[in-house]
Amino acid sequence: MTSALVSKAERAYIQASLQATPPLRGDGRGLLDFRTVFLETGVAPLANGSARLNIGKMAHEGGGGTEILAATKLEVEDVETGDGVDGGRIVCSVSCSPSAYSHLSSNALDELQYDLTVILQQTIAHPSLHPQNLTIIPRKKSWLLNLDVLILADSGNVVDAVFMAARAALWDTKVPRTRAVEYHAPEEIQTMRDSAGAMDIDQREAIPQASGFDTREMVRTAADFELPDYWDEGEVLNGRERWPLCVTLNLLPPTHFLDATLSEEASVPSRMHLAFSFGKPNASKLQSMRLSGPGELDLSQIKAYIADGEKYACDLFNALEAKLRDEDARRNVKARNKFALR
Amino acid sequence: MSSRVEILNDGGFRSDGRKQYELRDITIDLSQQGTADGSAIITHGLTQVMVTVFGPREAKMRSQTLHDRAVLNVEMSVAPFSTGERRKRSRADRRILELSAAIESTFEPVVQTSLYPRSQIDIYIHVLQQDGGLLQACINATTLALITAGVPLLDFVCAVSGGVHSTEPLLDLTTLEENDLPNLTVAVMPRTRKVTLVTMETRLHVERFRDIFELACEAGQTIHKEMKRAVKDRTVALVGAMDAGAKHPSGDPDRDLTMEDR
Repeated sequence: MTSALVSKAERAYIQASLQATPPLRGDGRGLLDFRTVFLETGVAPLANGSARLNIGKMAHEGGGGTEILAATKLEVEDVETGDGVDGGRIVCSVSCSPSAYSHLSSNALDELQYDLTVILQQTIAHPSLHPQNLTIIPRKKSWLLNLDVLILADSGNVVDAVFMAARAALWDTKVPRTRAVEYHAPEEIQTMRDSAGAMDIDQREAIPQASGFDTREMVRTAADFELPDYWDEGEVLNGRERWPLCVTLNLLPPTHFLDATLSEEASVPSRMHLAFSFGKPNASKLQSMRLSGPGELDLSQIKAYIADGEKYACDLFNALEAKLRDEDARRNVKARNKFALR
Repeated sequence: MSSRVEILNDGGFRSDGRKQYELRDITIDLSQQGTADGSAIITHGLTQVMVTVFGPREAKMRSQTLHDRAVLNVEMSVAPFSTGERRKRSRADRRILELSAAIESTFEPVVQTSLYPRSQIDIYIHVLQQDGGLLQACINATTLALITAGVPLLDFVCAVSGGVHSTEPLLDLTTLEENDLPNLTVAVMPRTRKVTLVTMETRLHVERFRDIFELACEAGQTIHKEMKRAVKDRTVALVGAMDAGAKHPSGDPDRDLTMEDR
């Protein structure tokens, strides 16, 4: 995606060593190995969900690697008058820091941002993945979920990293609990006041009313909502297991490899981005596919690549899922225990 | 005051439990970020800013270079999720241009640009979280990033914000206080005791200005101590790593000597 400058000789050298038996990579990894992935959730206190992700940070110097910051923020939208959609909507945006792409001009940076935004938006905001709990009041109010991804540093494989960070931020998102509120016009007040003169009696008793516990009819007529005071920040997004993951296959026939560094990316002609969603166990769905770079592929080859990609994505999914549950435990159970021990 | 929150209560405490002249927690992280030559992440309470510095290097556009000194190029980006209400600011947003112009003019007299003619120093500022004192955090982080990049400076630049509540001066304001009080940001060079920036967007009575200005200059010295300690710690760690690297080769005579001594 980015064109780091690699000389012809360097490109040939990298290609030859990748195609050698056994294949060799600059950092000693196998073809299907990822660099170390660091992930932390809950990094932005003002966001509804957030995550910071780093792929390939150097262990000792503490620098390098692809660094992504993703955060979600919820906004209330009016369906009738505003531009809200019944059931809520999701808007994604990717912004690239100029320090990640210091060789690009600001126009080129905008184009890159736009490209990545389109990839993310088309995949994440697809109706098949839409969470059910973004409605506040049906046909009146709904949540707008803004997903902002910030690329702070790029050292290769940025699309996979963006998807992983986005998935972690969405996983972490908490939707505030709401309670519908209905307004009753106090009809009898006027007549009562006339007869009672200036006397002010609490009129509410006089209005025949349904039980306050009966909220079945309320939703239909509700006009507004309120936020009940509750101990937690809200409930998680419905179907958060479904959020997709992307694996990028860097194609260098006859082989392919994962998690390319910048120089490897620059020396491989084409790559294939495959986004998979694993809603139910052992049932994966291909959510999007994109082939970038020149050249052509046989249909049978594409089938083989998709099958391979699914396998890699499944491994990645399991690892990420374990990490996310671990993070949840770290921030809730362990933090609570630590606090109790103080 | 019209605010529902008491800015300064009878006990002399502010809304976040600080005393009048108390500064917020400062944390400084000088570890390397990506491929930048120098970088720093500073947090003042809940305000967090990351600055990366590239250069001095050849400018992308030749026409922008000056023949006798380096050009400082400040670019700022504010994360959309950094504030309470989400707002995406473009690069050409007026507020951002204003802030980056203020930072550029603050550092112009401090960086020894004449040492690097026909080159450019890029300063990229990322605002990750905002809770008041944005300009102060940007300036402090830029100083630290320039230092870690090894760009020669005449002195540190330490900035702090201050405000006045009726007649009482306060230091290091949060968003809540910034919205309600007349406030100013002062950047000082602690060794020479020169001031490189005083900026104010609200109105302040001229009799109150002297108090808060002197107080802010003094607070700059305190921030300087923190920044100096962070820089020193990092340098000590680097020198330690260099020594360890130098002693590592097996043919080193010093190492043999110590082995025999044992």
